[in-house]
Amino acid sequence: MPATASVGGARPEPEEASPAPAPASTSASSCMGTRPEELTARLAAAGPGPAEGCGGAGAGGEEVEHERVRALREIKNQIIGNRTKKLLYLRLGAVPSVVAALAEPGASPAALVQAAAAAGSFACGVEDGARAVLAAGAVEHLTRLLAHPDEKVVDASARALRMIYQSRLAPKFDVNSGENMDFVLSLLDSENENVTELAAAIISHSCESSAEQLSLCSAGVPQKLVSLFGGSMNLRDACLGSVTAVIRNNRDVASRFASTDHGKGFRSVVGLIHDRSPHTRLLACLCLIALGHASPCHFQDKQIKTKLIMVLLELIEEPGHVGDEAPLALTTLIKDSFELQKQALTTNAVEKLSNHLLANPLETRRAVTIMLALSELCSKLEESRSQLMSVEVSALLLEALKHDWADIRIAACSCLKNISRSPKVLSGGRLSCDTVIGPLVQLLNDSSTSVQVAALGAICNIAVNLTPRKSVLLHSGVVSQLVHLSKSMDPMLRLKSVWALRNIMFLLSPKDKDFIVKELTLSTLSSLICDSEHFVQEQTLALVHNLVDGYVDSANYVIGEDGMVMDAIARQLINASAPGVCIQGMYVLANIAAGNELNKEAVMNVLLPHRADRIKPLFVVNFLQSKDKQLRVATLWCLLNLIYPKCEASSGRVVRLQNAGVIQQVKSMINDPCLDCKLRVRMVLEHCVDNADDCFM
Amino acid sequence: MPVRVVDTATPSSQPSPGQETNTGHPSPPSCSLLSAGRSFAGTQNVSSLQKDEAWKVNVRIHGCDLEQGYLCGTMEALNVPLADTPVVTFWEGEIVDAKNYTFFTGKWEASPEDDIRHWSKFPSFTPLLSQIETDGGKSLDFSNYPYIFMRWKEQYFVNVGADCGLTIAGFYYVCFSCSDGSISGFYYDPNSSPFQKLELKCTNEKNSGFTFSSYELQ
Repeated sequence: MPATASVGGARPEPEEASPAPAPASTSASSCMGTRPEELTARLAAAGPGPAEGCGGAGAGGEEVEHERVRALREIKNQIIGNRTKKLLYLRLGAVPSVVAALAEPGASPAALVQAAAAAGSFACGVEDGARAVLAAGAVEHLTRLLAHPDEKVVDASARALRMIYQSRLAPKFDVNSGENMDFVLSLLDSENENVTELAAAIISHSCESSAEQLSLCSAGVPQKLVSLFGGSMNLRDACLGSVTAVIRNNRDVASRFASTDHGKGFRSVVGLIHDRSPHTRLLACLCLIALGHASPCHFQDKQIKTKLIMVLLELIEEPGHVGDEAPLALTTLIKDSFELQKQALTTNAVEKLSNHLLANPLETRRAVTIMLALSELCSKLEESRSQLMSVEVSALLLEALKHDWADIRIAACSCLKNISRSPKVLSGGRLSCDTVIGPLVQLLNDSSTSVQVAALGAICNIAVNLTPRKSVLLHSGVVSQLVHLSKSMDPMLRLKSVWALRNIMFLLSPKDKDFIVKELTLSTLSSLICDSEHFVQEQTLALVHNLVDGYVDSANYVIGEDGMVMDAIARQLINASAPGVCIQGMYVLANIAAGNELNKEAVMNVLLPHRADRIKPLFVVNFLQSKDKQLRVATLWCLLNLIYPKCEASSGRVVRLQNAGVIQQVKSMINDPCLDCKLRVRMVLEHCVDNADDCFM
Repeated sequence: MPVRVVDTATPSSQPSPGQETNTGHPSPPSCSLLSAGRSFAGTQNVSSLQKDEAWKVNVRIHGCDLEQGYLCGTMEALNVPLADTPVVTFWEGEIVDAKNYTFFTGKWEASPEDDIRHWSKFPSFTPLLSQIETDGGKSLDFSNYPYIFMRWKEQYFVNVGADCGLTIAGFYYVCFSCSDGSISGFYYDPNSSPFQKLELKCTNEKNSGFTFSSYELQ
C-alpha cells in the first residue's frame, strides 16, 4: 500500500473511441465475419508482415488494403475498453499482425490510423498486451510515424505511444543522450497537442535519475512544459505531471525551477491549484508538494501551504481517483511537519476527514487513504489525537481492525499507533482495554506480514502502560505471541516484537517481569542480544535494561545461569557494536552495578576482564571517549554505581579502575561539552574522594 | 585525585566553544535524571495561618520532550486530610526554553509580577533576572545551565473523582537541578495559601546506585 501520494503524471490515458467509420466501411464490415479468430486470420492473410518487406497496398491491391483496414478497425472497436477481448486476441496472436501493419512502407493512412489505435489499446491497462506490443516493435514504428505527412497518422501514433508509455514495461527514454534530448525537445516544440502531450508522457515515464532531471532542466524543459499549461486540459495535466517528475527529490532542479523567470513557473503552478478541473488541482498540489520537499527554502509561504491543505481537503469530496488520492497527497504534505500538521488542524482537517470516513463505506480505497491521513495528523499533535478519539471514530477504527481487507486493517493499526504515540494518551489508559488490545493481539496471527508489522507498531506504543493497570495487556496472551514473533525469520517482526516486550517491561512489577522472562527464556534472550540486526540487539538490551531496573533479584537472570546473558552483553560491548547497542548495554551494566556487591563485581569483571588484552584498549575507556554523549553518560552512570559511597568494596573498585586508567580518562572529561556528562564526571570524582576518605577512616 | 570543576554560573547568550548545539534556539540541557520513568519523593508544605502541615508527595515522570518544551507525569499526595487513599493527579509541564515557553506564564491567572515573584524564590533564577528585565529572557541560552525551569499544571485526578473536595486549579513554578535531580517548586493559586513549597529528591530506590528504565514510542 502506498505510504505517500503518487506524484505521477496525468490521469491514466483513456482509450479513445474510434473515429466514426466511413460509410463504405460500414457496408463492408456487414459482409465480413467479426469473430476474433476469423478477424485475426484475415489480418494475417491481408498482407505480408514486415519481415517480407514488400508493400501491402501495392502487393494486394486496393481490395486487400480495404480488407486490412476493415479487420484492423473491427479488432480495435472490439478491444477498446474490453479486457476480455484484449486477452482473447492476445491468445490468438493478433498483436504481431497489427504491429506489422504499422511497418509496411506502402500502408494507407487509414490502415496506419487503425493499426496505431489498436496497438495503443492493446497496451492500455493489460500488462500482457503492453508486453506483446513492445515485443512486436511498436514503439519504433510508431515513433517513425510521428513524422508521417498525414496529420491523422501522427495523431493516432502519438496517442498510441502515450498509452504504451503509461505501462511500467515501456522502455525508459535516455534523455542524457543528446539525440534523444533533441527528439524530446522537438516533440515539445510541435504544434500538434497530441505530440506535445506525448513528450510530457515520455518525460514522466523516463525521468528517474538526478542526472536526467538536471539534463532536462538545463535544456529548459520545465519552462517549455509550463508554457504548455495554456493548452487543452489533458495537455496541461500531462505537463504538470512532467514538471513534478523533473523536480521530484532534486533540490538543485527544484530550486532552479522556482527561481527561473522570477518564479514564473512556480506562480503558474500555484495558479492551477484553483483550476476548474479537480484533476488539475490535484496535480498542481502534488507538484507544489514535490517542490516543497525538494527545496523547502523556495516554498515557505504559509498562505500557499494553508491553501494547499484546504484544496486537498475539498478534493476529498470528488469522486473517483482524485478523491482517493487527495488524502495521500495531504499525508505527503504534512508528513513529519509539526507546523503543517498544526495548520491542517486549524482548517478542521481531523473533523472533515473523520466525517467523511464516518459517512461513507469502509471498504473503499478512499477510506484507507483517509485513515492514513488521519494517522499522520495524529503523529505529533495531542489535539488531533483527542479529536480522533471521539466515540464514533474510535468505534470505526476498532471495526476496521477486523475488516477483511488487509489495507484497512493496516491503516487502522497506523491510526492507533499514532494516537498512542503520546505519554498523555497512555497515561489516560483509554487504549489499554480489552476492546482495543483484543483485536490488535488477534492481528499478530494475521496471514499478512504487513498487517502483523502494523499491529506490532500499535502494540509497541500501547504496551507503554503508564497507568497502574498493566494486567489487561499481560493477560491478553500478547506476551507469548510476541515471544513467538521474536523468533521469526523476518527481521522487522523480530525488531517490533522485542520492542513491544521492552516497552511492556518498562516499570513492570517483579512478578510480571518474572512471567515475561519465563516465557522468553534466557537462551532466547541471549540469542536476541547477538541477533544479526543491530536494531534487534539494541531493543533486546533495552528490554534487559528495563528488566534489571528496580528489582535486585532480576540481576540474577543476567549474571546467573552460567552468565549466559552477561556473556552475550559483554561480547557486544567488547566488539563495540552500533552506538545504540553500546548505550543500552551500558545501562544494563549500570542497573546491575546499582545492586549488591556480587552484582557490582560481576560488572567489574566485564569492564576489567582478568585476562585483559594489553594491546586492545578497554571498551569502557573507548566509550568514555565516544562522540556519542549518550554513550558517555551511560558509561559514567555505570562507573558511578560501581563506586557508590558507603558500599563495602567501593574503594577497592576505585583503585582497580584507577589502575586500569579509567579514572584518568574520567578526569580528562572535566570540561566535557555535554553538561550531563560534566555533572556525572563531577559525581564520579567526588565519589572517588569519598571512597578514599572512607579508606582512611 | 580531586580536580577542579569548572562551573557555569550563568546561562550565556551565545553557545560556549565546543558546546553541542542544534539548529534554531538551543534547548535546555538533556539530563539523564529528568527522563521518563524517573521518580521523585518529598513534601509539599501546605501550611496556613491556622496550622503547619506538609503532605508527602511522590512524582513520576511519564514523558519528556525537550524539543517541544513538554513533559508530563503523575503526582501522588500521600497524607491528604479527608482522603482515604493517596490522591494521584496527572500533570503536564512547560519547560522554559525561550523557544516554546518563556518565564512569563500568560495564563492560569498569573500576572508577570506573580511570575517574577515566584521565580525569584529560586536562587538559581537570580543570575537571569537582569536579562529578563532587558528582553524578557528571549536571548537566554539555557543549553549549558545546570537548572531547568518549568511550570507543572495538574490536568486531572487519576484515582479520585473531581468532587473529592480537592482543587487542582493552580500550578507549580518548578526548578530542577541537573546536578542531583532535586526539585524545588512553589504552588500558585490565587485562592490558596501562597508559596506552598514543594521539595523533592530523586528517588534512589536501592541506595547503592541509580537505576534507569526507558521506553521508546514508534
